[in-house]
Amino acid sequence: MDQPIWITFFVSFIILNVLLIGMAYVTWFERKVLARFQDRLGPTRTGPAGLLQPLADAVKLLGKEDLVPAAADKWVFLFAPVVTFMTALIAAAVIPFGDTATIFGQEVNLFPADLNVGALFILAAGGAGVYGIILGGWASANRYSLLGALRSAAQVISYELILGFSLVGIFIMTGTLSLREIMLRQHETLSIGPLEVSNWFILSQPLAFVLFMIGAVAETNRAPFDLPEAESELVAGFHTEYSGFRFSLYFLGEYVSMIVVSLFATTLFLGGTSGPGAEEYWGLGLLWLLLKVVAFLFFYVWLRATLPRFRFDQLMGLAWKVLLPLALLNILVTAFFRLIANGEVF
Amino acid sequence: MPWDLIFFFTLAAICLLTAVLVVVSENPVHSGLFLVLCFLGVAGVFVLLGSEFLAVLQIIVYTGAVLVLLLFVLMLVDPEKLPAFYTARPLQRYVSALIGVVLVLELGAAIISRTAIEAIGPDTPEAVAAVGGNVQAIGIVVFTDYVLALEIASLVLTVGVVGAVVIGLPERLGEKAGETTSTISLGHARGSDNMLGAGPRFETPIATSGQPVRVAEGPRTVVMAKSADEYTRAGEISR
Repeated sequence: MDQPIWITFFVSFIILNVLLIGMAYVTWFERKVLARFQDRLGPTRTGPAGLLQPLADAVKLLGKEDLVPAAADKWVFLFAPVVTFMTALIAAAVIPFGDTATIFGQEVNLFPADLNVGALFILAAGGAGVYGIILGGWASANRYSLLGALRSAAQVISYELILGFSLVGIFIMTGTLSLREIMLRQHETLSIGPLEVSNWFILSQPLAFVLFMIGAVAETNRAPFDLPEAESELVAGFHTEYSGFRFSLYFLGEYVSMIVVSLFATTLFLGGTSGPGAEEYWGLGLLWLLLKVVAFLFFYVWLRATLPRFRFDQLMGLAWKVLLPLALLNILVTAFFRLIANGEVF
Repeated sequence: MPWDLIFFFTLAAICLLTAVLVVVSENPVHSGLFLVLCFLGVAGVFVLLGSEFLAVLQIIVYTGAVLVLLLFVLMLVDPEKLPAFYTARPLQRYVSALIGVVLVLELGAAIISRTAIEAIGPDTPEAVAAVGGNVQAIGIVVFTDYVLALEIASLVLTVGVVGAVVIGLPERLGEKAGETTSTISLGHARGSDNMLGAGPRFETPIATSGQPVRVAEGPRTVVMAKSADEYTRAGEISR
């Protein structure tokens, strides 16, 4: 478990860079998949299959003028996109990318930090990330931006609750908030009669998984929950006044939080790195993790290509009248079964 | 100097500085922002004390709370009509100073009773480690020793939620709006397009001052929609 601190820094450095490059290529992935859904080709001109498109976009965004509106609250305006981007990246610090592995004769922990409240840490980072949107929308001194910001606040307050409550079932089952321990619990196998199945929590907590995915899409402001930036009514919502690199910080923050939420969902419900051969070779575990995350990202794009945007009262009604009672029911049932398993009732 | 001391003094400086800025900022949104920074600093101190659970709860609970506070500021405070710098009335000034002194004395008493007299409570690091970490330790204490306080707190919160729902019921809002005749007009009802020729005399007036506004009498239907759903069949509920 204990390792020299330079290894932790090295692992964190690699994870950070993989995330940043991964996020650039998620934009490419989304454009390609979305294009296929709409019977188009997507980017093709920059490199083979448009693979250099993220680089071209980055150069373009860096070269644009960094505008600050005259009426804007300057410092808050400049600071807000950084909040969104940083909180999205920080959340990745508690994701386990495997257990301890031996690389070049050195014991290496494949997780930057095994925080004993890792799951709550990600929720806290998500909650803090809303400040970037609220402050950016307010500081722009633009009514469309402010409307987008207010929508985002109401949406996140509602759906953060769903997200948190959907996880309580898992916490009751495992008795821990540490993501590494939750992942390791899912590496065990259960035998139901003749069947040998992995102990993935998607099997024992299917309702929680559905609630979590709905909450996660809303929390990352993605379609069909992208009301804060609904272009048909609010121009571009909270980032209407942003240009150049500050706009791209918002843009990339959204994609980083998509990746982090996918990693989070994989760790909680799909056993993280678990899969055939993952116990022997840590690289194979990473490959399984990658596959599951790509599946989640595809799901995100699929939703965007398929569903129209919610109306705002539908969004609120769904959260408070449907999802919240279901989440509470899930907690109640899980707690009841836990008591039976402990032999405290019947 | 050991690292934890350096971190502690940095965080303490951030907390104190932002706490002062909360009070002296002229812009209420800036005050809210500094309040969040102050709470984040306190969360950092909790981490230094080895209670990550409290730190994360501090962030989750207080970022949400300050978010709602900011929303109220955005919706209710007109930044152009704020008084210069609010200096309280003499009585308020003296009472607040007195309360401040009492609070400092209480904090001092708490610190002295724990360190100088060395009366350390039952939750030593060893005791916490024995039950499996600070999440478990807090859970056990809250749901056994302090369960009554927890239930009372949850009852108060439930009453608050019920009150908010009762006050905010759309029917009541509609009734109130009807009394003062400042209607929530979402446009004109379907099928009343030909009434546009009636001219601006029959437009729904926009409330500019605090005075109640009377809807001009005319052939045009004013839609009282309590929700967007009703508006889509607005013709049925027009008055």
